[in-house]
Amino acid sequence: MVMSFFRKGPTGLEHVVSKSVGMLGDARHSFDLATLALLTETPPASVDSDIRATDQRINHSEQELRAELVVHVAVQGTADIGSVLGLILLLKKIERIGDQAKNVLDLAESGVRLANEDDTPAMLEERELISTMFGEAAELLAEPDAEQLEDFGRRVDHLLAEHQGKIEAYLHSDRPGHEVVPRAIYYRYLKRIVANLLGIVRTASDPLPTLDYLDDGATDTDD
Amino acid sequence: MAGPVVEQSSHGRRLPFEIPTPVRAALVVGFIYLFLVGVSSLEKGIKIMGEDTQERLFSSVSNPIAGLCVGVLGTVLVQSSSASTSVIVGLVATKGISVDDAVPMIMGANIGTTVTNTLVSLGHVRQSAEFARAFAAATVHDFFNVMAVAVLLPLELVTGVVSGIAKGISEVLVGSAGSEWKSPVKEWVKKPVEWIVDLWDAVGLNGNVQGTIVVLTGLAIVLGALTLITKNMRRLVADRVERSVNNVLGKGSGAVAMLLGLVITIAVQSSSITTSILIPLSAAGVLSLRNAYPVTLGANVGTTITALLAALAASVPEALTIALTHTTFNIMGILFLYVPPFVRDLPVLGSQRLADIAVRQRTWAVGYVMGVFIVLPLVGVALLR
Repeated sequence: MVMSFFRKGPTGLEHVVSKSVGMLGDARHSFDLATLALLTETPPASVDSDIRATDQRINHSEQELRAELVVHVAVQGTADIGSVLGLILLLKKIERIGDQAKNVLDLAESGVRLANEDDTPAMLEERELISTMFGEAAELLAEPDAEQLEDFGRRVDHLLAEHQGKIEAYLHSDRPGHEVVPRAIYYRYLKRIVANLLGIVRTASDPLPTLDYLDDGATDTDD
Repeated sequence: MAGPVVEQSSHGRRLPFEIPTPVRAALVVGFIYLFLVGVSSLEKGIKIMGEDTQERLFSSVSNPIAGLCVGVLGTVLVQSSSASTSVIVGLVATKGISVDDAVPMIMGANIGTTVTNTLVSLGHVRQSAEFARAFAAATVHDFFNVMAVAVLLPLELVTGVVSGIAKGISEVLVGSAGSEWKSPVKEWVKKPVEWIVDLWDAVGLNGNVQGTIVVLTGLAIVLGALTLITKNMRRLVADRVERSVNNVLGKGSGAVAMLLGLVITIAVQSSSITTSILIPLSAAGVLSLRNAYPVTLGANVGTTITALLAALAASVPEALTIALTHTTFNIMGILFLYVPPFVRDLPVLGSQRLADIAVRQRTWAVGYVMGVFIVLPLVGVALLR
């Protein structure tokens, strides 16, 4: 272990970013499994232990990386303090996505089944889209690119507006409660997951004080 | 990431000016040479003063407790045991101070050097929980070093065992006391030291005044060079330090943590840097007191490398003996106070108790620093010189 002093390796923040990408991969795994349990015939019990173990792994990584960020400031000084605080927020967002995936699983475990419904194909399509966005977010986190980030932001904003529209429609729907309530809750979780994905990639470019806010800090992203 | 970042280039931000690593490494080599010139200048300046002046100057440290207090005060003043022990090595090289008289000063330097991280811990004074952890992590070093002196100074005075071991090693390496050791480093630094003496000669100084000015010049060079070595080495090895701290802390055994403290301190040439890094980690709860403690012990041993380096610029085996005494003292301290499990926790318990008191009554923390590092040593010197 002490020999690591003499070996070359990634520097502190690079290591945290690369581990964050791994955490995001774990969060995607949880999301994929949880939505599978809700939207298909997959029994929730069959994915429960995997999702909870993945969540534990995400939580453990968050704690470990927080410690590494403190070590970074203690050793390197405060020059990177903005990055360090940004990364702390980023880690929390990934951890929250893990929790939100767990919430989706809880919904499935409470008896809600959205498989074989009229809107199931659309929801599965949306699930695929969001799962792909996890990959895009991971790429942007590892290699920030201003143009791709802007494009990603545009698509996320569109999706968030769509989700909000659906939630409001369910809230005012005349359909029975057992149909609209689970859908409203599900879309609320999706909205938060997608908003957190946007927050993750924006930590690479946005100024720290207005991170998670839009319009130069005037609008809360409500994630 | 938000704000200024290390990976600025990958995030499209402008990199600040950075000295290239090879240039910085070359600078460090230059500063080490300068440091050796400084140590040699100290020796030269004392020699210029003449034996009568030397006798008057150093008679006050013949009392071991006074010597101990001088070691504490001198180190607190320059905030670096590397600097103070290098000066002591320089003084021993002139034979103005005997090895026996210098041993308590070296032990005092070990206590004095802990003031830096204790002062760093006071920066957390406004947050009770943080302060308790930070202050305990800082004072565990104080407790250990004071306990080491309490055990090993009487033992040394009665048996001479600490300096005896160092003397044995020194004899094997460079010859017995009283002989002249042809240090190659001494030859390399001879010319610049002559230039310093000639410079003050040219302005019309001679005798004690010239000797004093040459000593002060040497002292300024030693302090300046050490500061620059530490600063540049810290930049050179910061990434490695960060990586190894992450790999070791909280995962390895006490011996591994001790080794980490040793390696980092040798790399940055300052135990204060190593121990001060531990304070924010402890304050934030990233590092437990029991994990921080062995790192400070490794730092104690690592910091002795500077005095060993200084001994290379001296021409008498006694200089190496006193430098090795510093190393021997710290290793024996670990053997006596860390290896036996029944005493290992005493510094930890002492520092936790002190931290509890300091959190309840913040003025106690300031009083402790003033008392242990300034008032007590001053009283000791005043009464016993």
